[in-house]
Amino acid sequence: MRRRPFVGAVALAAVVALSATACGSSGGGSSSGKETITIGFQGVLSGDNQQLGLNALYGIRTAVSEVNADASSPFELKLVESDDGGSPDQGPTAAQKLIDNSKVVAVVGPMFSGATKASEPAYTQAGLLSVSPSATNPSLTKLGFRTFYRVIAPDTVQGKAAADYLSDVLKARKVFSLDDKSDYGTGLSAALEAELKARGVALTHDGINPTKDYTSEATKIIAAAPDVLYYSGYYAELALLSKALKEKGFTGKIVSGDGSLDPQYVAQAGKAAAEGTYLTCPCGDANSDPNAAAFVASFKKVNNGAKPGTYSGEAYDATMALADVFKKLGKGADRESVLKAFGSVNLQGITKTVTFEPSGEVKGSNVFIYQVKNGSISVLGNTANLIRS
Amino acid sequence: MGFLDQFWQLSVDGLMVGSLYAVIALGYTLVYGVLQLINFAHSEVFMLGSFGGLFAARALLPGDGSVPGGAGSIALVAVGLGAGAACGGLAAFTLERVAYRPLRRRAAPRLAYLISAIGASLFAVNLAGKEFGRQNVDLPDLFHNGTVFRLFGAAVSTQTLVIFAVAVAMLVGLDRLVAGTRLGQGIRAVAQDADTAVLMGVNVERIIIVTFVVGGLLAGAGGFLYAMTFNASYSMGFVPGVKAFTAAVLGGIGNVRGAMLGGLLLGLVESYGGYLFQASYKDVIAFGVLVAILMIRPSGLLGERLGRAA
Amino acid sequence: MSARPRTLGASVLLGLLAAVVTGPTGDSDEPLRAAWDSIADVRIVLFLGLAVALWLVLVLGPRLRGLVAAVTAPPRRRLTAATLTMTARRSVAAAGRRGRTVAVGGGLLAVAVVAPLVVSTAAQQSMVNDIGIYALLALGLNVVVGYAGLLDLGYIAFFAIGAYATAYFSSSTAMPWHAPFVLNPFFVFPIALILAALAGVVLGAPTLRLRGDYLAIVTLGFGEIIHLVANNADGITGGARGAFGVPHLSVHLAGVDYAWGIDPLPYYYLLLVIVVGVMVAFGRLERSRIGRSWAAIREDEIAAEATGVATLRMKLLAFALGASVSGFAGVLFASKQFFNPQSFSLQASFFVVAVVIFGGMGSRLGVVVGAVVLQGLAFYLRDKVQPADRYIYFGAVIVVMMIFRPQGLVPSRRRRREIELSEAGVGAADSLGSATPTVVRP
Repeated sequence: MRRRPFVGAVALAAVVALSATACGSSGGGSSSGKETITIGFQGVLSGDNQQLGLNALYGIRTAVSEVNADASSPFELKLVESDDGGSPDQGPTAAQKLIDNSKVVAVVGPMFSGATKASEPAYTQAGLLSVSPSATNPSLTKLGFRTFYRVIAPDTVQGKAAADYLSDVLKARKVFSLDDKSDYGTGLSAALEAELKARGVALTHDGINPTKDYTSEATKIIAAAPDVLYYSGYYAELALLSKALKEKGFTGKIVSGDGSLDPQYVAQAGKAAAEGTYLTCPCGDANSDPNAAAFVASFKKVNNGAKPGTYSGEAYDATMALADVFKKLGKGADRESVLKAFGSVNLQGITKTVTFEPSGEVKGSNVFIYQVKNGSISVLGNTANLIRS
Repeated sequence: MGFLDQFWQLSVDGLMVGSLYAVIALGYTLVYGVLQLINFAHSEVFMLGSFGGLFAARALLPGDGSVPGGAGSIALVAVGLGAGAACGGLAAFTLERVAYRPLRRRAAPRLAYLISAIGASLFAVNLAGKEFGRQNVDLPDLFHNGTVFRLFGAAVSTQTLVIFAVAVAMLVGLDRLVAGTRLGQGIRAVAQDADTAVLMGVNVERIIIVTFVVGGLLAGAGGFLYAMTFNASYSMGFVPGVKAFTAAVLGGIGNVRGAMLGGLLLGLVESYGGYLFQASYKDVIAFGVLVAILMIRPSGLLGERLGRAA
Repeated sequence: MSARPRTLGASVLLGLLAAVVTGPTGDSDEPLRAAWDSIADVRIVLFLGLAVALWLVLVLGPRLRGLVAAVTAPPRRRLTAATLTMTARRSVAAAGRRGRTVAVGGGLLAVAVVAPLVVSTAAQQSMVNDIGIYALLALGLNVVVGYAGLLDLGYIAFFAIGAYATAYFSSSTAMPWHAPFVLNPFFVFPIALILAALAGVVLGAPTLRLRGDYLAIVTLGFGEIIHLVANNADGITGGARGAFGVPHLSVHLAGVDYAWGIDPLPYYYLLLVIVVGVMVAFGRLERSRIGRSWAAIREDEIAAEATGVATLRMKLLAFALGASVSGFAGVLFASKQFFNPQSFSLQASFFVVAVVIFGGMGSRLGVVVGAVVLQGLAFYLRDKVQPADRYIYFGAVIVVMMIFRPQGLVPSRRRRREIELSEAGVGAADSLGSATPTVVRP
């Protein structure tokens, strides 16, 4: 049979191009005559970590739809998304896309510390406010980025509180600190270990890049016989680690940080393996907090039944804080005035009260302890109170 | 708490993972033996098989969260393996038809296959992510998992035993298939000399597609076994894929028994290395061992050539 | 003939697939729901219509094409680069060909100079980070893959070496481990060049005796080792935190003071100069004795050895040369912006290989065009489709492209001849470029 490459190529290219445009034109808002304010989102929407990006994006969409549904709100929000794949390579391009769009007056993001370091010089040059829901590297607020704010406490806050809890409440004498070798994981484990060392707790440190196979790591942990294993990393890997540890009959306690505070942890580890795990977080958890029930309900409604996950609440709070600033500024909200006004925001959010230090650091975060009980994550209380009682 | 105390436990862990590497590696080796090309999209065949098996087994589980036992467990595992294999086979067949055959027809350079496979892999990974969500998916226990027996003090769990037994059964089965059947003869004939095979009346196109499908069946069933312990996700294929490819080369690519040996060895090296050093260096150690072995034996441990496998 | 219904079936399947790809997103609780929702939707009419149209084009195509060809034969010929060079080779004298090459090159250069001025700053960023850097990397890898016929799957490791060398020499804060003195990144260029070349030799010397695919896996291992060490050695490289604070490039020479900054445009022009320089230099190299030795090794290593080509030395040279270009690109990248080990993943290595093959192995212009097209496509899709779905389309385009143009966008003349020869059975080309010997056309 003779081949017809040229015609075929053209036809296929046409199909691809058509289907690309067919779904590119999704979205679009209602026109109610209100002023429209555009905000941007820079985050991880492709690659291995895209679920974290979607969590945040859904949180922002929830906030946007709540603001737009509010009849008393003098403006409507419009969201522009920009994907940086969580990597520094694509960070500047993603940031520049939002900067180029002159309608964007503020940005929620970037999400990962690496992408933040790569993107923030451009934001600072353009004077465009960026509020990160998830970049926890302690150094970020010390690098001279005047446009950088975050609604999440840096690793140091959580690491110290977690260490206090481990030694005072869980009475751990021997801790196995495992991190996932990511920017987030190493930062958290370093802070935790510094405090544990200061308290004279025996420590074993190990790092393991995110993987699926934690069988031999579980053997290693059990051989070290710690009272507590603290995992600095994300829920998907903690779930696999918990499964492996359970299969091998680990008897110590498993504790992890805010990256694992996600109902998906229980879903992926299975109820039996997840039961009893402690989670620390400098945040309120929307799914277990009765005050956040309205947020969870509207989140599900906006996002096809998806439940809030890691960073959803932070992204929602960041967006609401922006909306609060827009409300105060009234008509004249532009990049400059938003950037100037954002530092004095004071808003009761889902995860915490959002107020800022001059450096862009969120003020006085309480670290809460959660535990998996009967297959769901429930709050035990704030570390300071738990230690006192 | 020294290494020697844990030696047997680490060996058990390593052999379990290694047997999975071996099963996946066979797909690389078979295709390489027949076509002399690296099927880079094989990792996605594995991923799709994994999802297929997982969804099938989950659909048949009692909804109340109880763990079935006895015959129920065996049936569930069998269904999962079958569904995984079927999905893997179908995925491999489609892959060959879409990404490889058109290239073969126009006598494309060998590297074009590699790029086509990378494209197919990107497509499959992201489409799976879109359809099945980007979260890892857990498969609830299909049987009561506990320590069955101890081997020199090392606990061997039901799960480990099931995975290892099924994997070994598949490896032996494939070895027999290649060595003892008429189909295997055809595969070996094409691997040795395709042109002569044609003259001897072998239908090369058929052998090629069958080779892909057999590799896909194994990878799909292996994917289900993998999902039983390690969950399934859209991006799960890449790392085991690279490891399995490494295992195939380690044993001598194109050599069926070499792939088995390479897989088990790689699993053991990783397990020991992760214990002795910081666990994050275990891949460094695994690749280091690979480089060292290739320096000494430039064509893998058992030498190449599918034809020599029997 | 049963081909027609089969073509229709394939077209319909393709239409259904397109419907699923553009349809709603699902989750693992109901794995088949999203696919079903895409198919049981009114949009399916559109896709089935497209499928039938595609089928008609495929079936009626040859006739239509004959018709079209009869009317528009001369202009259509000009459309494909292949026919262009064919006609050029046949009818125009060598001098004329040269003139035309220069004219085409000049035209492309003019386009490259003007292009960034008419696009957004975000596109300029992409032209530096994605297109420019990858064009440079692809040119370097082209020496290894295209000229010498060696498959290197860990090429990005040399890029990492260049980037980390820059952090080491030009900043005292970027990494925990740093040089006792601080250099302007410009002076790091030669150092990184040498370091990367040395790394290439160190990797190559023991491994280049290995045949094709073994070499591929060893280089893959090497790339992964460098990536993991960069990520895990917190005390030396800063680990996953990356290297922040590498200064931008700046020139202070004979009264000229210029500093590159956050603005991507100056980096673009610098890269353009470097890319063009490398293209010219490699062009000369390709035609030199060394280039001919590589061609000889590629086509028949044993014969080359027998006729006195120092094959191992020549392969090492290719490896070192390719590596040094990669190191060079690393310096540029590191001084432009923040980086962390994520930039040096295995996927990045694969992507450079994809650019080289996609553009056309062995063709300098081809690999640059490959970088422009592939990365341009990724940038274009950024706004057109949901970001999470971007790589579905990207993957599909690569497969389609390879099916219809396996020799790459702008194949090298020499490579094409080798393929033609091997197809005709006159000697086999090298292990990478040859047609698979087992082709059996039904």
